Amino acid sequence: MTAAGKYWRIALGVAVIAALIIVPMNFNRYGLYILSQWTVMTIAAMGLNLTLGYAGQVSLAQGAFVGIGAYAAAIMTTQGMPLIVALGVAIVLCFAIGWILGYPALRVQHHYLAFVTLAFSTLAFLVFRNEDWLTKGIYGISNIPRPNVLGFATNRPLPFYYFCLGSLGIVSLAMWWLIRSPWGRAFVALRENPVRALSLGIDTRRYTLMAFAIGSALGGVAGTLYAPLTQYIDPVPFNLSLSLDLLMMVIVGGSGFFFGPFLGAMIAVLLPEWLRFTQGYYLMLYAVAVMLLLIYSPTGILGILDRYLTERRTKAASALRAVAKSRLETAP
Amino acid sequence: MRSGIFAGLLLVTVSAATAFAQGAPIKLADVAELSGGGATVGNNWKNGIDLAIEEINAKGGVLGRKLEVTHADSQSNPGVARAQVQKALDNEPYVLLGPGYSGSVKVTSPLAAEAGITQIMGGEAAELTQGGNKFLFRTSFGQQSSMPKVAKYINDELKAKSAAIVWVNNDFGKGGRDVITKEFAKYNIKVAADLSTEAGQADFAADVSKIKAAAPDAVFVYLNEEESARILKELKRQAVAVPLVGETTLVGQKVVELAGDAANGARGHVGLTTDAPVDLVKAFREKFVKKYNYVPDHNGLKGYLAIYMVKATTEKMGKVDPKKFADTLHGLTIKAASEPGILMDVTFDEKGDIDRQGFLVEIVEGKQVVKQVLPKLN
Repeated sequence: MTAAGKYWRIALGVAVIAALIIVPMNFNRYGLYILSQWTVMTIAAMGLNLTLGYAGQVSLAQGAFVGIGAYAAAIMTTQGMPLIVALGVAIVLCFAIGWILGYPALRVQHHYLAFVTLAFSTLAFLVFRNEDWLTKGIYGISNIPRPNVLGFATNRPLPFYYFCLGSLGIVSLAMWWLIRSPWGRAFVALRENPVRALSLGIDTRRYTLMAFAIGSALGGVAGTLYAPLTQYIDPVPFNLSLSLDLLMMVIVGGSGFFFGPFLGAMIAVLLPEWLRFTQGYYLMLYAVAVMLLLIYSPTGILGILDRYLTERRTKAASALRAVAKSRLETAP
Repeated sequence: MRSGIFAGLLLVTVSAATAFAQGAPIKLADVAELSGGGATVGNNWKNGIDLAIEEINAKGGVLGRKLEVTHADSQSNPGVARAQVQKALDNEPYVLLGPGYSGSVKVTSPLAAEAGITQIMGGEAAELTQGGNKFLFRTSFGQQSSMPKVAKYINDELKAKSAAIVWVNNDFGKGGRDVITKEFAKYNIKVAADLSTEAGQADFAADVSKIKAAAPDAVFVYLNEEESARILKELKRQAVAVPLVGETTLVGQKVVELAGDAANGARGHVGLTTDAPVDLVKAFREKFVKKYNYVPDHNGLKGYLAIYMVKATTEKMGKVDPKKFADTLHGLTIKAASEPGILMDVTFDEKGDIDRQGFLVEIVEGKQVVKQVLPKLN
């Protein structure tokens, strides 16, 4: 990458962040709610992107982890505990459960693994619904308070959006660091060729479990934001369809790309809202749009960009080669 | 030049304002379960609303102004319902209609109350109107008023000492089950079996054999229509001969069609039914079938009634005033004689609960027969 290209990228990043902070100031409550939802779903999808995109393990349980996080936050904050404590509990809980759920991933792969996680997803839903003493069952938990952050109340939509955006920022930085660390490289090695990774001395067993556990913990983080966002939770939003939705976000955005979940969540959360003007057809149009996208580019939106950049680089390289060749030929 | 633009703008604003005062449509917002698990509920509700609005507008509207409604889909998901209600409230509707799922009502009703907008909804869970929300109104009996009638019937008429309860495990079924269990306790009726089933469940053989083993004096069935038909068939197949008692969803026309002979003998309390022996309800049913080509369930009636509640309340106030709407509707009695669209006389109490006549019906040879009309309380 050239130095100029690098500066352009930084400028673009700063502009996007500034826009995310400044533009919503004029939004109505509905717009802020949808944007907050986008940040929450992005965090959950980032977790799944780590498991699926970087480590190559198909998981249909991410929605269940969002549910676990949401219930932890709902139960604890309605009992008067601060959200940060609930966040800690959710992370530890999801990490531990994710680690345990990772064991089947050591033995089964791909769609077999998907089935194992699907079973877990159903199990989690049944626990949310049937363990009345803990989760209030199908009635759900209402009046979930929004937190005070550094002395600021986040009851109003705008402060709560900033709280969500800030959380997304922290998670993004952590993720950025993680995938550039030796761990991140190990995850990719695991996806590309587990046998070779093993022969190079990477403990594939530990890293598989780690990918699952960290990805799940991020699902839990998203859940602890989801509960105070809607301020009411019941088991229904955390059924299998949320897991499938998250999986779609990762794939549509571009699985294995850092910014994939951001775009994927944007499409999954915002596109149906934009299409609502078509009344009864909006979900159909949305489905068709997603299908067309995946037919055109199975690697998602960022896959298109990636393809374009690769093509350009190839072209530039062949042009250089041609020049070099012609020079050789014209040389005396 | 600039002053010209300004004057033009001013003119547009002023004329828009006068148009608003004279005959601009009254904006209503509906958020309902148009897709997902509650799609039948939401679409019946929506069609009922559209039918009522079409009728009212054809007759010149309310106080000379047309009604206009926007429908938004909650996907049967409380989180989406919250977003859509927020969007609807940002546009400052006159009245908010829906949602139908009790969970979605719970998440949205504080928003409407905060905005000071009246919400007329379809949820039936008992607790909805017990939190002191001054802006929330039902369109049908809450479970806290329908279940005591069922329990009383099981005790007084059937003289049952024990009963099995079969319920569908969602907020509707669980809510009904919890209220009736309490009512049974008052009458010392033993719960012989307490069976939770899934929405969409196809096979009830296991549940029915459990009922058989428990040998209760009566079975209380609280499922959706399709599942009600399935369990009725299975109860007949396994020759369970005790009385089968339920609510609106056990004795509806759809259940009779699906279950055939097996539906005979089923009885229940019905608050709103298109089979009610009331001329206005029959006329409603005909109009609905003519427009949509199918027989609506009670949710269709609820949507229809919601609009006529808006009409009657507004005419009572004599003006379109969203702030006074809820106050006016509390304690209001709407008579079918003066407002035929309300179908049956109805009174709204201080909590937003309704008082209306109900029916005890039994299926006899494939027909709903009203055994008893339970009068309006006051």
